[in-house]
Amino acid sequence: MSPVATPVPKPALWPIDMPLQPRPRGALWIGVAGKGGAGKSVLAGTLARVLARRGHHVLAIDSDPMPGLAHSLGVEEPEMPLLMDAAEKPAKGPWRLKSGIGPMTVVRRYTTPAPDGVRMLQLGKAGTDGLNPVNGSVNAFLGTVRRMHEAQSLRDWAIVGDLPAGPRHLAAGFSPYARIYVVVVEPTSQSAMSGRRVAKIARGPLGADVIFVASKVADAQQRRRVERLLGERVECEIPDDQAVRDAERRRVAVIDAAPQSAVVDAVQGLADIIEQRGVQSS
Amino acid sequence: MKIAVAGKGGAGKTTISGTIARALARSGHDVMAVDADVNPMLGISLGLGMDGTERLAGIRQELSESGAEDAIHEHTIDGLIERFGEDAPDGVRVVVASRVDMPDHGCLCCGVSADRLLREMEAGGRTVLGDLEAGIGVLTRMQTGSLDVVLVVANPTPKSIEVARRAAQTAVSREIRVLVVANRIAGEEDLAAIRSVLGEHEMAIVPEDAVIARADAEGVAPIDLDENAPGVRAIVAISERLVALPV
Repeated sequence: MSPVATPVPKPALWPIDMPLQPRPRGALWIGVAGKGGAGKSVLAGTLARVLARRGHHVLAIDSDPMPGLAHSLGVEEPEMPLLMDAAEKPAKGPWRLKSGIGPMTVVRRYTTPAPDGVRMLQLGKAGTDGLNPVNGSVNAFLGTVRRMHEAQSLRDWAIVGDLPAGPRHLAAGFSPYARIYVVVVEPTSQSAMSGRRVAKIARGPLGADVIFVASKVADAQQRRRVERLLGERVECEIPDDQAVRDAERRRVAVIDAAPQSAVVDAVQGLADIIEQRGVQSS
Repeated sequence: MKIAVAGKGGAGKTTISGTIARALARSGHDVMAVDADVNPMLGISLGLGMDGTERLAGIRQELSESGAEDAIHEHTIDGLIERFGEDAPDGVRVVVASRVDMPDHGCLCCGVSADRLLREMEAGGRTVLGDLEAGIGVLTRMQTGSLDVVLVVANPTPKSIEVARRAAQTAVSREIRVLVVANRIAGEEDLAAIRSVLGEHEMAIVPEDAVIARADAEGVAPIDLDENAPGVRAIVAISERLVALPV
């Protein structure tokens, strides 16, 4: 079946009725990166919710073609990415964003509402035919993220991008909006090597700031192991927490299932660091 | 024989690929290990260490930066293996296919696809083992019958099982044999979770193993740390199963 024939209900314009907080803020535009399985989605989903509860307008971007962010945010994954409706296929040439649709329109019309007022923008998910059936959404996604920095109205937003495993998407330009990369590293050699590669691209060609987070660490020794393997200072540590595994199994957000858990606490600490850094860099 | 290893990031693809490559080499096979991940780390589980693995990825990088890429366009596949490859313990030969900072699919020098790369390397009776990128992207670009078998690695977590389900479905639709590797199994409940979704496929079970975890933490090959650890033995047993498959 052609994806064009799939009826996608036209979503209503989302009223932006949340008052902007009057306190000074930089653009908190964040990419969450690292090796597969390191805990990127849980961190990204929880961080988005925490920032929203602090009064930020939050756009959560799921750019992983594999299942990812939705459950960690506490929302059901739409069957067909809403972005399909923002794209059109001309008689000749590839899918493109419909004319006149800018980043802010995409945010208001083609994102999924998640708890605490977070909006989720989603790249299509790959099936047995890869991304072909949802190519419209991929092109609309790229067209949007590439122009995101131009959108004046997004200047006061927090953007949290959940990136796929490894350095590919950074190198390929799928997260040009990110000014800070949160690099998630487990206490393993493979995870550390991934973290180093991601950080090298983020700091080098992308000219972004990097915050290393030690993930799934059981004790101070494991945190030191992450620092030794990385050869870098870790600014925040996310403990190994049964609450995360339980929430994943139940397909709910850990911030809803266990709001008092050590993981949510740790993400609050990360949000403090990010708010401070964002203000400095703006 | 052409084998590829697929699954969610962190499921254990690289650890399983490296250990199987070493085990096949020990039993007398001429093994060509292809690191087809844009985040190449197969060297670690083959026993080259973190620095050796980073150097291996660097060879690929230097070749394109020095412009030597163009000069080797017309080389034979053996010539490419010679120039890009590195020797790992037990006589395994390993190559890194893609650049870290400029990801492209497959390609040693001229953008050949991952499946063509694996196919051409098989010449001369080699056993080719490809460690694929996380997710199912490379598999969806494979042609029908381009591999003999795909090992689909699944951990007992919902996301890992879901990625494994899509990988297995993709391989089946390409008429490629699937062997699901249920990895990090700590009990009946773990196994039941994987079986409930992937039960229709052939399956091998690798138990949760502290030795493998320690090897990953230290950046050494599990088979060098303790070849008699239950997890290592289970992976070696998979290599024996692969050898027995009709090609």
